Amino acid sequence: MVSEDVLRTHLQELRRGTVVVASLVALRHPDYGYALLQRLTDHGFPVDANTLYPLLRRLEDQGLLTSEWNTEESRPRKFYRTSDEGESMLNRLLDDLAAVQTSITGLIQGVDR
Amino acid sequence: MNTLTDRYLAATLRSVPAPRRNEIASELRASIDDMIEGRTDSGQDAATAEREVLTELGNPDVLAARYADRRLQLIGPTYYLIWLRLLKLLLTFIPALVGTIVTVVEVAEGKGFGAIGPGVAVAMQVAVQITFWLTLTFAIIERTQTAVDLPEWTVDQLPVAPVRRGIPLADTIAAVVMLVVTIGYLTLQQFQSWVRDTNGENIPILDPALWSFWLPALIVVLVASAIFEVVKYRVGRWTWTLFGVKALLNLAFSVPVIWLALSDRLLNPTLAERFSWLADTDNRDVLGAIIVVSTAVIMIWDLVDTAIKTRRQTA
Repeated sequence: MVSEDVLRTHLQELRRGTVVVASLVALRHPDYGYALLQRLTDHGFPVDANTLYPLLRRLEDQGLLTSEWNTEESRPRKFYRTSDEGESMLNRLLDDLAAVQTSITGLIQGVDR
Repeated sequence: MNTLTDRYLAATLRSVPAPRRNEIASELRASIDDMIEGRTDSGQDAATAEREVLTELGNPDVLAARYADRRLQLIGPTYYLIWLRLLKLLLTFIPALVGTIVTVVEVAEGKGFGAIGPGVAVAMQVAVQITFWLTLTFAIIERTQTAVDLPEWTVDQLPVAPVRRGIPLADTIAAVVMLVVTIGYLTLQQFQSWVRDTNGENIPILDPALWSFWLPALIVVLVASAIFEVVKYRVGRWTWTLFGVKALLNLAFSVPVIWLALSDRLLNPTLAERFSWLADTDNRDVLGAIIVVSTAVIMIWDLVDTAIKTRRQTA
């Protein structure tokens, strides 16, 4: 039986990069931090708040997200949206994710590429 | 107002770069309020919800570090290995070198055995200083993200794989330690032999007259033997040249000892005044004979043993 700790570490490693992909996909529709957190969790991407909020800022600094303050609702919230640059990088990432899936499937079925 | 949220924000923002502080503050406050609202909407009371949300966000210093993209390590994997290598390199010789210099200077000033203390103390200070400044330098490089051009690793850097050594390191260390202890004893017994006369004054075991030539000569031979052990280790196996040098060193030590013992010049004559058994000439002869025989046996056994090893390893 694999120890829980080892399993958790490997799952974390596997999931790490997918949070960025998932956020870039989800933010094709502008959203603020907490709502994005909820949406990601609902779609099977459980992510810690203390990871996601700093990540959004970092992606914004890298020009992959743009942001805008919305002051119309009960409290002012910062809405993020995937930028054009973010979109083109997202496509590269999605291609790679698909390639990983294809390779794994190939390996499992024992087919040479 | 000084709610837990206020305190949490203050603690987080304290270590976030100033230009973005206000924006992060507004955003983080909104996010925390959203999270609390999410919990109160499902029926939790506000105080518990606030507590749980802040607990979920965790240590504010960690969160701030993530916002600032700051490293939570003193020296990261990029520089750790080179830091370690430099540290080892510097610590292997600089503290010992400085300590030795200080000791020599103190001895030259006539401090005698009191010179060892300052030497050791200075060596330790130097070691601590080297470690501190080297680590500080690397910690700064790590933080400024200066692109230091570390030389790329190439296969040419691979060390020669260790061949099965005919001379184990443990043997070399043991031999050198033994030699150093012997040198230490030869010197120390002059001042502290644990044999005292009736007035409590120290009586050296060996005749102090020997200091005029024989004892320094023997110490020189022992130092040469220690150097020989190191050279032998570097060579890695016994050769007939090494055997020859070893034989010479053994003879250079044991022949004077045997000769001095036979001519009754080895032991301090004052000892005879302290121990009446030694006053008797016959007894002195017996003791001399024991010293002669044991020295000769040890020397011959060592040479035979070495010869066997040399033959095996040169075959």
